[in-house]
Amino acid sequence: MSRRSLASTAALAVLALVALLTQVPAAGQTPSGASKPTATGKPWTPPRTTDGRPDLQGIWTDNTVTPFQRPQQLGTKEFYTDQEFAELSQRARQGDVGEEGNLGAANPQEVRYDLELYGFDRTKVRFGSNKRTSLIVGPEGVVPPILPEARQRNADRVARNKGHEFDSHENRPLSERCILLNQERVPLIPGANEGNLIQIVQGPGYVTLLRETNHSTRVIPTDGRPHVPQNIRLYQGDSVGRWEGNTLVVDTTNFTSLSAFQGSGERLHLVERFTRAADDTLIYQFTVEDPTTWAKSWSAEIPWTKTRGPVYEWACHEGNNMISNILRGARVAEQEAAQKRER
Amino acid sequence: MRKWLSDSSILGATAAVGLVLAATLAAAQAPAYRAPRTADGRPNLNGIWQALNTAHWDLQGHAAAKGPVPSLGAVFSVPPGLGVVEGDEIPYLPAAAAKKKENQANWTTLDPEVKCYLPGVPRATYLPYPFQIVQSQQNILISYEYAAAVRVINMGTPTKAPGDSWMGWSNGRWDGDTLVVDVTSLDERTWFDRAGNFHSDALHVVERYTPRSADTLNYEVTIEDPKVFSRPWKISMPLYRRVERNAKLLEYRCVEFAEELLYGPLRKKSSN
Amino acid sequence: MRTRLLAVVAGVGLLLAAGPARAHHAFAAEFDQNKPIKVQGSVVRWELTNPHSWIHIDVKGPDGKVATWMIEGASPNNLYRLGLTKESLPAGTAITVEGYQAKDGTTKAVGRNIVFSDGRKFFLGLSEAEGAPK
Repeated sequence: MSRRSLASTAALAVLALVALLTQVPAAGQTPSGASKPTATGKPWTPPRTTDGRPDLQGIWTDNTVTPFQRPQQLGTKEFYTDQEFAELSQRARQGDVGEEGNLGAANPQEVRYDLELYGFDRTKVRFGSNKRTSLIVGPEGVVPPILPEARQRNADRVARNKGHEFDSHENRPLSERCILLNQERVPLIPGANEGNLIQIVQGPGYVTLLRETNHSTRVIPTDGRPHVPQNIRLYQGDSVGRWEGNTLVVDTTNFTSLSAFQGSGERLHLVERFTRAADDTLIYQFTVEDPTTWAKSWSAEIPWTKTRGPVYEWACHEGNNMISNILRGARVAEQEAAQKRER
Repeated sequence: MRKWLSDSSILGATAAVGLVLAATLAAAQAPAYRAPRTADGRPNLNGIWQALNTAHWDLQGHAAAKGPVPSLGAVFSVPPGLGVVEGDEIPYLPAAAAKKKENQANWTTLDPEVKCYLPGVPRATYLPYPFQIVQSQQNILISYEYAAAVRVINMGTPTKAPGDSWMGWSNGRWDGDTLVVDVTSLDERTWFDRAGNFHSDALHVVERYTPRSADTLNYEVTIEDPKVFSRPWKISMPLYRRVERNAKLLEYRCVEFAEELLYGPLRKKSSN
Repeated sequence: MRTRLLAVVAGVGLLLAAGPARAHHAFAAEFDQNKPIKVQGSVVRWELTNPHSWIHIDVKGPDGKVATWMIEGASPNNLYRLGLTKESLPAGTAITVEGYQAKDGTTKAVGRNIVFSDGRKFFLGLSEAEGAPK
């Protein structure tokens, strides 16, 4: 045999062995409602990465003006009809979107940031393509009532800071300190602006989520390993993943007490599910539970849309003038108040 | 028959010469290690890696020295190192050489690492903390444990940066078994080490990552900056795989540790 | 570069469906609406941090002394998406800035408008309601 054909035979043998040993997931179940049926009514099958896993890769945007919790007047209505959805979208794109993009009462006299320069383009406003009336799923569509011990815990924290909100950097929110911005917290909650892209890069045994805000990167192993030891607490918790059919399931624990999500504590347990439902759609679902905060678990679903990148660097701490301006401003205000008292 | 013999002996002689030549060549350069391939046929660089040297203290050869905090004594004193600069000389232009000395003398106040600023490239690679390479066809993502630094290397058609960034703009390609990464648009405020080695906004870095064994990579970097150096110069070092089971990057969000330094003076003074 | 009518929109850039409490910081925590400023100078550099970029400009005072002002601008990532690059504001560019001064009284401000010497406007990130002080 010539050397060349020996080499290629060997290469083929290696490939065959790799294919044999690699667990190729069976085309299986996706969470109900998660994938768009094709014209024939069958769920869409995602392409595979070169190592045989469902390909979730790309640059995604989760921006939406669908409210997190269902507006009270909608009661148990989970989905808009096609017509309602079309009307709603049209009204949103024409109208004024108010405080936090949520049609709140805005004070017209105030000078404020122009959201359009922070990625909020009114003409591109979109409600979630799944036509849900809220991100939280289920008949209630709202965060369950908070348990008394959680209420107390959170009230205690606020009380400790009361009157000291501008004393030092330690009294300021994590976002202002560029330690943990709201848009990099987990679970991933969308904004109405498109500036917070998500890039997914997959390698053998890992799925990486790069969230644009604060260049937040989660490298998630998919080998079924256990969580890191309990005494290691992390702002974004510790994530371990596994594949269930075409869905990436990520289990996260080990949160710090400051990772609070909707008032949760350290025992927050988060399960996220990522399913590519169409070429340009990824369905992101999450379920949270915390026995010290809610009596039951609750879930949400947010459709992501493929978009063009790139994801740019989002350096926050390097030259964080926000916090020094705010603290210095507070010192100046105190000095002025003290001088006034002396007169 | 005689012709056959002479032909075969010529063949034999040629073969013998060929073998000798090959052996000589082999002795001159070690046989190149051939890394396992990813499913799309590229050298597999996936994994958690870490440098094992004192380049983060000083790229050049240096003896051990006192640390910056007297009360810590020998803890965090400066360990010695052979240096990673080829030729051990960093070719500063005269004015820049003076600035380097000034940086070095005042490094605790001037070094961006002290403030937990993003380390830039190549410093991020040889900080004494692990980083992870996640390799796909279109992109290679490198996640650094330190300061949550990250960069995505574009493996498609090269693109241009709209502005400077701390971790730079990376376009990559394969050169045989070597990943070559071209890095531009690096923020001028990053340093190369704690010895004050610095650059300008004209910095251009070319990295080469070459598998040298199952658990090591060769990392070679060419650095050029016509505003600071008189010519390009190179550093090189091995990178070692973190082979322990379930190796994982943890959060090293050091911003908190730099806050007292940065914002302490703005703290409210307690009234008497 | 599209010109845009700076519309009256509320809140700050980091909108969240979760509710208003999630805003990163309101304009009022850092800057004083009652301290409008207008300065003229040349760009020293454009610092591309998020969520706000900072434009450093050298401003010559009436006494001939040069003071460096820092003007808070919009998120560079979103400006890139609108087509701007760092070449859009090179060092040495002559600009006029209108805005509101920092609460601490230093030479810092949030920019309402940047106008180039040829009258073109540059995006900064601040808008105001009709009737607000000009």
